[in-house]
Amino acid sequence: MSDFRAKRIAALVAKVAAIESGGRADAGVLSFGDAALDGKLAGGGLPLGRWHEITGAGLEAETSAAPAAYAALMAAPLALRGEAVWVLRRDDLWAPGLAGLGFPVERLIQVCVRDETEALAVMEDALATVGISAVFGEVEAVDLTAGRRLQLACEKRGATGFVIKRRPFGGVGRKEAAGSIAATRWRVVSAPSEPPAGEFGLGNPRFSVALERSRGGRSGAWILEADQAYSWEAGDVAHPLRLVADLGDRELAPAQSPAVRRAA
Amino acid sequence: MRQVRRLAAVSVEASRLRLHVGQKATDAMALVPELATADVEPEADAAALTALVDWCVRFSPAVAADAPDGLFLDITGVAHLWGGEAEMLADFQGRLAQNALPFRAAIADTPGAAWALAHFGRDGTIAPPGGQGDLLKPMPPAALRLEPEAAAQIERLGLRRVGQLMEIPRAPLGRRFGARTLERLDQALGRSAEALRYRRPPTPWVDRLAFFEPISAPEDMARVTQDAAAKLCARLEAGGHGARRFEIAFHRVDGKTLPLTIGLSLAGRDARRIARLFQPKLETVDPGFGIESVTICAYAVEAVSGRQARIETGPEAAVEDGLAPLVDRLVNRLGSERVWRAAPVETHVPEQAVGRQPALGAPLSEARPWDRETPRPVRLFRRPEPLEQVFALLPDDPPRQFRWRGRVHQVRRAEGPERIGEEWWRREIGDISITHVRDYYRVEDQDGGRFWLFRAGLYGDPDAPAKWWLHGLFA
Repeated sequence: MSDFRAKRIAALVAKVAAIESGGRADAGVLSFGDAALDGKLAGGGLPLGRWHEITGAGLEAETSAAPAAYAALMAAPLALRGEAVWVLRRDDLWAPGLAGLGFPVERLIQVCVRDETEALAVMEDALATVGISAVFGEVEAVDLTAGRRLQLACEKRGATGFVIKRRPFGGVGRKEAAGSIAATRWRVVSAPSEPPAGEFGLGNPRFSVALERSRGGRSGAWILEADQAYSWEAGDVAHPLRLVADLGDRELAPAQSPAVRRAA
Repeated sequence: MRQVRRLAAVSVEASRLRLHVGQKATDAMALVPELATADVEPEADAAALTALVDWCVRFSPAVAADAPDGLFLDITGVAHLWGGEAEMLADFQGRLAQNALPFRAAIADTPGAAWALAHFGRDGTIAPPGGQGDLLKPMPPAALRLEPEAAAQIERLGLRRVGQLMEIPRAPLGRRFGARTLERLDQALGRSAEALRYRRPPTPWVDRLAFFEPISAPEDMARVTQDAAAKLCARLEAGGHGARRFEIAFHRVDGKTLPLTIGLSLAGRDARRIARLFQPKLETVDPGFGIESVTICAYAVEAVSGRQARIETGPEAAVEDGLAPLVDRLVNRLGSERVWRAAPVETHVPEQAVGRQPALGAPLSEARPWDRETPRPVRLFRRPEPLEQVFALLPDDPPRQFRWRGRVHQVRRAEGPERIGEEWWRREIGDISITHVRDYYRVEDQDGGRFWLFRAGLYGDPDAPAKWWLHGLFA
């Protein structure tokens, strides 16, 4: 009996997913290579052909270093497949830092825009362009209309958008839009690093990441580490982020065999 | 030098009353007491001439201003667009007359002959090919565009017609009246070439569209932009060429010309793409009473190999969706300095380590790529921000605590220092000082925030106490 119900529910979930995708070809997912993360995301990985929201907390809402780095790390495997565009309102993004994290900077086009509307328009334009796989945009807020437009642009070519919420310096925080149609929403802050035993200085960059919203999935919170950052191996691994065990001595999870899975 | 007010120009009515240029204003007032005069404005005259030159581009792209009051129009190879030289001249005269400009025009093989005919001949003369010599013979020597002194001396010697000058052997003529006179005579007769200073470098890649009725609706302007671009692009394609810069000029009924320019990052000839780039700028064009013709020019023309094929990647993928058109749209909308790719620059100074390259078509950088093993921040402030209340245990220790933007940060972990000095090989040796150094530290505070701090200068320098700055933020 329970087996029958499970099958029925699975069939209904598939039906709902088919209705949501509106008949377009599924762009697939980008697996984190870790069951703990992938299990919380619909389809077993970061959905491509959608847009994702990344916010910071506290001062990071203005400076947006950790959210930007996290977005770059998350999208690094994606950027290797095509060109990437980063839409900025302040040109303080520094390419050597991104290169150190393993992001292919030579494939990144940076665009500095004058205002919020222009940022969203450029993002939309870039998302609908052939040959662009990832578009990052630093904007303050995305309302429902703008979100819907971004989604339509994403669906056109299967490009993936990353909206990094960033408040202008000295600006007052705007009220969060009531709803959002982003596929996922992440809240990212830097976490204290852990140098290897017997070494001084700082360890690899760590992020305390909360998956606040995940369409068709569940929320969760983890500590992730970019374990290949600042080495020549950066960018050569399938996914640059590793899960740090929550409990005990916070050991780094072993690298599994992550692979970009194309949905059938 | 006596201060004398003289007439600089006279109207047709005044010249009938025997007033002439160069006459003293007081004499003229005595002859014609009700004479109305206005101060001469050479700058305004020059501006008006420039506007007229711009307007004449509708007839031919090669227009040269002949200050102070004339212009040359090179109509080689364009007269057939009007059905012949006579029809073209009639059209030209008709349009100028509509603008209430008094003028005289003539067509001849050489600029010199045309000038002479326009100034001294019958208005509207069209010299037959090679026939300017006969027409010039009865004219006064001044028709050769001579210096006033030379012309006066020739007349004083009794040579009242150009024909008499032509009969004198060349060598004595040159000796007597100067090489300049000889040169002008040769130029008028087509025996030596004359270089005119055209308004702009004439490009052979020019096309025009003229309309029966003036247009002014925005959708019509968008339409003619595309049609004009298609006309030019068809020619570019036939020649296997593409261009990087296009300029379209809208010629209004009242004689004003409104140009628009766009640039492409890669040479192209796709009319739809080019029209689309003009699209957002069209609303800045004020059609006034209507636009009667458009001209479109292509600059930076280069060979483009192969046809632009449609890139079939999706159900409705078209060329407009590719990367190059996106970059063009962004560059034309935002300006070229706002769209870039970061390229390494070989320097130790952090703020100079990133060069900006155009997003497309830039040559591969030969500089060494950034060292990935030295940690560098993701955000680098254009101006380092000062830190307050910095406590360090020892002079060369990283700080234990600092205050930035009103918040105190306790440093838990730190790395450093990384000393970055002045690049002495770039400046005069006398300006270099060993105290111009920055010691960079990478620190982590109690919440996990990672910062890139530096101390400018050395401790123990009484003149310049060391100061702490925040230069960037790590992930």
